Amino acid sequence: MNVDYHALAPEIILGITVLAVLVVDLLRIPKYWTAVIGLVGLFAAFVPVLTLGFCESLDFCTEPETAQRVLFGGSFVVDTFSLVLKGLFLGATAVALLLSVGYIEEDRYWQGEFYFLMLCSALGAVVLASSRDLVTLFVALELVTGPTFLMAGWRKGDPRSNEAALKYFIIGVLSAAILLFGMSLVYGYTGELTFGGIRAATAALGDSALLTIGVILTLLGFAFKVSAVPFHFWTPDTYQGAPIPVTAYLSVVSKTAGFVGLLTLSYQAFAELRDVWGPLLWILAALSMTVGNLIAVRQDDIVRLLGYSSIAQGGFILVPFGAAVAGNVTGDQLEQAFFATVTYLLIYAVMNMGAFAVVIAGANRLKSTLIADWGGLSSYAPGLAGLLALFFASLAGIPPIAGWFAKLVMFSSVLGVDSGWATALAVIAVLNSVVAFYYYAKVIKSAWFDQVPDTIPAAELRGMGRAVAPSLQFALVLTAVGVLVLGIFPNLIADVGDVAKTVAAGF
Amino acid sequence: MCQSRAVPLLALAAQTPNLYSPRPGPQAASASHKGFFETVLDQYFGDYITVAAFLGMGALLVAGAVLASAALRPNNPTAVKSQSYECGIDPVGGGWSQTQIRYYIFALLFLIFDVEAVFIFPWAVGLETFSDLGMGVFVLVEMVIFIGILVLGLVYAVRKGVLRWE
Repeated sequence: MNVDYHALAPEIILGITVLAVLVVDLLRIPKYWTAVIGLVGLFAAFVPVLTLGFCESLDFCTEPETAQRVLFGGSFVVDTFSLVLKGLFLGATAVALLLSVGYIEEDRYWQGEFYFLMLCSALGAVVLASSRDLVTLFVALELVTGPTFLMAGWRKGDPRSNEAALKYFIIGVLSAAILLFGMSLVYGYTGELTFGGIRAATAALGDSALLTIGVILTLLGFAFKVSAVPFHFWTPDTYQGAPIPVTAYLSVVSKTAGFVGLLTLSYQAFAELRDVWGPLLWILAALSMTVGNLIAVRQDDIVRLLGYSSIAQGGFILVPFGAAVAGNVTGDQLEQAFFATVTYLLIYAVMNMGAFAVVIAGANRLKSTLIADWGGLSSYAPGLAGLLALFFASLAGIPPIAGWFAKLVMFSSVLGVDSGWATALAVIAVLNSVVAFYYYAKVIKSAWFDQVPDTIPAAELRGMGRAVAPSLQFALVLTAVGVLVLGIFPNLIADVGDVAKTVAAGF
Repeated sequence: MCQSRAVPLLALAAQTPNLYSPRPGPQAASASHKGFFETVLDQYFGDYITVAAFLGMGALLVAGAVLASAALRPNNPTAVKSQSYECGIDPVGGGWSQTQIRYYIFALLFLIFDVEAVFIFPWAVGLETFSDLGMGVFVLVEMVIFIGILVLGLVYAVRKGVLRWE
């Protein structure tokens, strides 16, 4: 049987890495080798992603006849979209791993198992980016989610961490059940599992109440994963209770995995059912932005604030889907919306990882995540305060940092559509950007302009920026450079997002 | 244990639709000149009749077995006979005794290899078809990798001291 091993190489390398980490954990050598092997594996898995992406300019690479490699009867497709997302998942996991190194070591909790679980979850995400049938999608999504239940409860002695894991587990299982029920209805109606087959079947069979319910339930299953309001209850508690590197991983990799499912399902499998998912995701986008931002304003804990901020950012990422609500939307405009979502996901991953890296660096020394305790950070750790300002300004969307470009393409994708509903969503997004700016700026103001509170021994903490663990420093530099470069040269990411939108072609 | 009974039951299941005809075809419906509502009701209750028939048959089988043994066996109750059965040895403690938590890990490990067997059986049945297609080696290697990963898990459990009993 002819299997395109080149197309499967990222998954195979990552799979071998997972097993290698497990074996190394058994040997009598220092546990940090598990993290090193995990990192090496992630970078090694990145190599075939690059060779697949630039296949036409490489000598040894045999170019397939079309731009995409279809494996296993259409269940597994490697195209530019999936390669871009694979790159994102591998990079974000590498940064999350760097963030975890010092943090998990300090807790003396089962380091080897932690990296094993994180890499398993990353493997699921990488498979998810390529899965183009319901079963593969579900298995990959569960592989992403399953290990994170355990990771959220990693601090066994901390009741908050236990609460985080339990809530996340219960909601995760519930959402899996809803997703599976929706998928079974879709399969029962169309008799097809692959996305291409489902699209053809829905075009041929037409609409029905059963199919509509199936589509809605399937998408709602993913709404839990991306913590869209009103399916967000678990998010703040889980984000606050879980170890902060795990929170960073959840808010970027796990969330992006949910969006990838939404993207491929909406634009491929349910492409003919725009009038079902368009309004549904319109409502979810408007609610997530508004509720997430309004509650974030009231937060005094920086991790909880980032939790609500990630709910709100999820709403912004959903906005381009809302363009499909218009009946007169053209194929070009849908491709534009797809491009906007992918671009926002890429930039969100970089800036959110950076924000969490700053929070970890600060919380390690301050032993507090209250925003009030971070007052006057600039007087004793100016570098850290500068990075804090950079990432939070990026999340707020201030030019010329990357978050601004993400918002720009998001707005242009809905404003380009000549429809009252799409424009209304853009207006809601604008109002929310203003609210978001308030609470992001509040953190920056606290770090730069407030007095150092009496409880914080500022003299002892002087120069703490230089005492940050090397792995964390590396992660900070990586994300800071990413945010700046993507903001100043947005055409870099525009090119990447541009090739990715070919998936939405064919309307 | 009761596999000899399973086969005739399955054969019966295949025949029941013909016996009860729970879903009259469109011709049957038009031939009997029934209205739409009656046809729907017929189908609706027809499905339930199938379920009820299976339920009744199941109850009959159990009741028949119990009654037949009651009629045939000698009746001689003793105190020992009414004790609860624990693998043939004298029962210790009450029925609500707590179980060692260690059993949990063993049960988990057992379950993994139990499920593995569930995957291997259909694979073994289909292997010949695949080897006819010229994919025999590929499919064999796939299963070897699968079992290898599970064995690695067992080695991991052993090395972590999960199987030590003290």
